Amino acid sequence: MEVIRLKHIEKTYSDNGVPVHALRGVDLSISQGEFVVIAGPSGSGKTTLLNIMGALDKPTQGRVFLEKEDISEKSKDQIAAYRLEKLGFVFQAYNLIPVLTAMENIEFSMMLLGIEENQRRERAREIMAELGIEELAAKRPNEMSGGQQQRVAVARAIVNNPSIILADEPTANLDSETGANLLDLMEKMNREHNLTFIFSSHDHQVIDRARRLIILKDGEIEKDEIVTEKA
Amino acid sequence: MLLTIAWRNIWRNRRRSMIVLLSIVVGVAAMMFNDGLSVGMIRQMLENSIGSHVSHIQIHANGFNDNKVIQKNITDTHLVERMLDENGNIAHWSRRVVTYGLLSSALNSSGGLIVGVEPDREPEVTSIRRSIIEGTYLTGASHEVVIGRKLAEKLQVGVGDKVVGMASALSGDVGSDLFRVVGIYETVSSDFDKTHMFTTLTNAQSMLELGDAVLEYAIIVDDARQVEKVTEELRYHLGDAYEVLSYMDLLPLLVAQVDMYDQMMYIVYLIIALAMIFGIVNTMLMSVFERIQEFGVLMAIGMKNSLVFWMVMLEAVILGAIGTVVGLAIGILLILLFGSVGIDFSIFAESLTSFGVGAIIYPRLTINTVVSVSIIIPLTMILGALYPALRATRLQPVTAIRYV
Repeated sequence: MEVIRLKHIEKTYSDNGVPVHALRGVDLSISQGEFVVIAGPSGSGKTTLLNIMGALDKPTQGRVFLEKEDISEKSKDQIAAYRLEKLGFVFQAYNLIPVLTAMENIEFSMMLLGIEENQRRERAREIMAELGIEELAAKRPNEMSGGQQQRVAVARAIVNNPSIILADEPTANLDSETGANLLDLMEKMNREHNLTFIFSSHDHQVIDRARRLIILKDGEIEKDEIVTEKA
Repeated sequence: MLLTIAWRNIWRNRRRSMIVLLSIVVGVAAMMFNDGLSVGMIRQMLENSIGSHVSHIQIHANGFNDNKVIQKNITDTHLVERMLDENGNIAHWSRRVVTYGLLSSALNSSGGLIVGVEPDREPEVTSIRRSIIEGTYLTGASHEVVIGRKLAEKLQVGVGDKVVGMASALSGDVGSDLFRVVGIYETVSSDFDKTHMFTTLTNAQSMLELGDAVLEYAIIVDDARQVEKVTEELRYHLGDAYEVLSYMDLLPLLVAQVDMYDQMMYIVYLIIALAMIFGIVNTMLMSVFERIQEFGVLMAIGMKNSLVFWMVMLEAVILGAIGTVVGLAIGILLILLFGSVGIDFSIFAESLTSFGVGAIIYPRLTINTVVSVSIIIPLTMILGALYPALRATRLQPVTAIRYV
């Protein structure tokens, strides 16, 4: 089942009056359960593409369909609701809410959905147990290591059962062992829950795990291939 | 959970929040104390005027208040006194003769009000007996006079000295009598002390050829809140031949001053609120700018703009509420403390007595002050937080997340 489709996406920025073409006519379709890595050199447009897929940014031209619904012309609040219900984000800098504990960070998006406290707690505990981070429940971000924070961020991203989890350079701030562990975890979630993961990364550790690899160059898709056998 | 976040965000920067809280607490407490002091001062002016001479209600023959001539006297005293005795809300009343006259000593003379009072009844209505600083109050013996300290200084007389009182009698002739100063009083109003001299009612009636007629009844009611009601009742029962005036009719300037002060306080509140608002805008803006990345993340994970707005507002409301409650508590304590012991403004005694206030001012707590401060300060916090909260909602998640 197709979860996201991009049609003729163009994105142009203005850099001191000079137009910069970040994306040039990108067409892309991603299906449920895919484990996609968007790679490419710096400035190739991979983060811009991820932002557009995550409805954080609007394309200059083209349309974005999320579960067959065109979200290009939706209002700010409608887009916020889409992000809340359909998308999960894992950021390079973890970006947990510093004043909340790990448990509360995971609960937060459920609170935004209006889920009752008891249910939220139960679901958060369930996810934490699955990710092996129960002991972090009462800790605040400044009391956790980078790897621990990123695991909590993954828990936060998947807790609402989104259609897609978008991960922007999730291992960039982690050492290779912690990064590998995190990727193991994400692969496990993908395998066991059929969650769709889309990464933007130039980390080989991430690229090596891709089951579909999209290479961007100068705002265009240079290569889009299904990786049948991982190295 | 929003409340939890707002509460914890407040204490992220403990020092900044404490400074904001302190400014609110000091603002609220100062606002309350200033209000309490001013209310106390104005009420003291009013009560001193009522207590020294005016009383709660006065009854005269119609037209006497505007034109104080002794021809406008009350002869049917039985009718008036029956009404006063029958009214259950009246605590005390006293007969008076009041006329403009001249008091002369061997060395000087001074004009003013010659007031004939009943020595046994008047002390229940006014406070002159309690204000005697030298000699005694009127005993009821003939030809006694009690004068104010300022007047005694001007006439250069003391207790035991003789003075001559002169005033226009009922016949049109000049009535005069020789009096002996038996007491000198001092009230909180130097003007009053310069102009009011008291003798017995019978002496005054005799000097002015009034017979048993009186010029004024001074009345004190049981409960000051009943003054208007009692005034209306007496007006209704006595009819048009008499004028029944409450202290509000008799002291229009002072009453207007009280009303004007109430209006002025709102201007003072506005100025304090304006001064506070800039501090609040600055603090809340700093708090928002420090968390741009965080707001970006909140928006990215699906928090609606309206919720972002309320999150910032909630922080301001919590700060405002805590500051107001603590400030109110401190303000109330200060007013209650100084309200019982008073604040000695002796260094300004000269000017204060000319206003009829007295050197010691007792701040007063009014429900109006508490309600006004409880509304104005939190409202100021909300207004001050509006702009920073709106700024937070205008952030674009894509740029905010990358903000450093």
